[in-house]
Amino acid sequence: MNSAVIEVLAPRYGIAWYPWAVQYFFLIAVSYSALLLTVPGLLFGKKNYESLAKVALLVTVSCTLAGPVALLADLHQPLRFWHFYANLTPWSWMSIGSLLLPVYLVLVVAYAWLAWRPAMQAQARGNGWIAKLSGWISLGEWHAPRWMLVATGLGALALSVGIMVYTGAEVAIVKARPLWNTYWLPVMFVLTGVVAAAGLVILINRLMTGNDQEVNEQSLKVIVVTMILSALVAALWVSEGITGFSPSVEQAFASLRGNPEWRAVAIYGLLVGIALTLTAIVTLRRPGWLGRSWIAGLLAVHIGWTFRWMVLMEVQTVAKNTAGYYHYAIEAGSSGLLGIIGTFGLWLAALLIIDILVPWKKSLQASSH
Amino acid sequence: MDKIRRALLGQIAKLTAGAALVPLSSIASAGINDQPPRREGDPEKRYAMLIDLRACIGCQACTVSCHIENEAPLGSFRTIVSQYEVEHEDTGDSATFMLPRLCNHCENPPCVPVCPVQATFQRQDGIVVVDNEVCVGCAYCVQACPYDARFINEYTQTADKCTFCAHRLDVGLLPACVESCVGGARIIGDLRDPESQISRMMKEHYSELMVLKPEMGTAPHVFYLGMDERFVSRPDAKPAIWDVRDQQGEEIGYEFSGH
Ligand code: SF4
Ligand code: SF4
Repeated sequence: MNSAVIEVLAPRYGIAWYPWAVQYFFLIAVSYSALLLTVPGLLFGKKNYESLAKVALLVTVSCTLAGPVALLADLHQPLRFWHFYANLTPWSWMSIGSLLLPVYLVLVVAYAWLAWRPAMQAQARGNGWIAKLSGWISLGEWHAPRWMLVATGLGALALSVGIMVYTGAEVAIVKARPLWNTYWLPVMFVLTGVVAAAGLVILINRLMTGNDQEVNEQSLKVIVVTMILSALVAALWVSEGITGFSPSVEQAFASLRGNPEWRAVAIYGLLVGIALTLTAIVTLRRPGWLGRSWIAGLLAVHIGWTFRWMVLMEVQTVAKNTAGYYHYAIEAGSSGLLGIIGTFGLWLAALLIIDILVPWKKSLQASSH
Repeated sequence: MDKIRRALLGQIAKLTAGAALVPLSSIASAGINDQPPRREGDPEKRYAMLIDLRACIGCQACTVSCHIENEAPLGSFRTIVSQYEVEHEDTGDSATFMLPRLCNHCENPPCVPVCPVQATFQRQDGIVVVDNEVCVGCAYCVQACPYDARFINEYTQTADKCTFCAHRLDVGLLPACVESCVGGARIIGDLRDPESQISRMMKEHYSELMVLKPEMGTAPHVFYLGMDERFVSRPDAKPAIWDVRDQQGEEIGYEFSGH
């Protein structure tokens, strides 16, 4: 019956959020998740987590610096960003986010600065321009008490909860897109963020430090636990849709019904999810396999990024009003591929600059006092 | 969609069209994502539109005149008439269904509270507008509108949408689409004036009126007369228009670059 209706004329609606948005959501999620990974080693001063904290701190700072740039770029009028602060709008999640983000950034940077400072001060005693620069960056020889680190760390953590809530809510409240409109989306953003952060920590650990086995083991455990939680959340979401418990999830399912591409996406998601969980478990169990953790690390980063790509970009191709689906072909220009590469380039630059300037592999303030 | 659900949706559409007659808002609360207070515009009025689909011939005169009046970029539309070919289930006869679409100037517009800089706001006369000097082009409102009524204007790089031609209404003129409608299918007017043509028609056809996507809870203020329930929400139809491909499988007949 319904197949007898043909849509003869309908306008084409372009997508409104570009891949920049994916980059922002990815980087900021890795940022707050890696911040969590620094907690046992740096904030609680647990010796056996210190190596993990070192790598995680580098990851969180570099992502925190690069993320907001991607966000700015997703505005069609980036030079008007000051309008956010000239027109405070407490009822808009995005406006709330614009207030949280700078404070979060400052606190994360302060937290890392305090953690790296003793090593920077030591470096400043040497010769050459790096030593000189280190002296400037560490702002003198005075001793920063540990409570300062703890205070900024706790502050950054508190703000990171704000970032988790706002980034999730901002998308999840959009009723017009049933695939977004679920309480589980913010939870899923956090879980996949933690997966990606742990994965990135493993990769950095492989590439920039001596592939520390303890770091690998701890990160893999984080991945296994969060993947199991993600599976639970996904199952709950699906069951809400099937049982009709949530009309909006039911609508989300209906909007994709009979679409082979989305079915393929679902199957792919399930398969990579299983692949990652199994890889992580096997790597943990087999003696001597920890050195190959980077395989799980790559998969984890892939899942964290692709989840955001599917949620933010592909969902925009599901028509709200008209029949069928739009085709989104990623453009080569700055709003497409160049943007994606550019943001990763920026992140890499931040990472390398920190690597040159900061002796981040040396002990953190946590253990030096 | 099966018959029962369709009928149900039709019912909701009708009920919501009715409920919208009672102005339920102007209640602003402080919660996140709640409607902020309205500003500007005449508080004595509530503009709305009634589209008599029985009189629409799908000529797209409204589409064209709106495009000229409001200088939308090529390929972006503030209003358009969707056209569907419907085949009768039993006889196989086919007919064309026309559905003019535009911003619904919702009573509970989800596009308003999301705007982070208050560039999108609702006037006291119900018209939802964008201040494109303030808009940062975040496109959040574009996502939030369930009706695809908004787009980012590629010239101004800010949000753009139908304003009921507020600039014309304010000086006593009719919107371009209403002015140019060949069949007289679009009726705009003030719902607070019981003598206005729209008020009278809404009273007369009260039980037959429908709005789009009532399940979104937006209380649209564009009412359709002669509506078919099947088109109230996203239609279960075969998209034909973008399927025109050449021998290389490339889409043809679409000439607007940069999309
Ligand atoms: S139709 Fe869309 S743009 Fe118009 S008021 Fe409703 S939600 Fe806003
Ligand atoms: S695109 Fe403009 S009008 Fe729309 S939400 Fe963003 S700032 Fe507001």
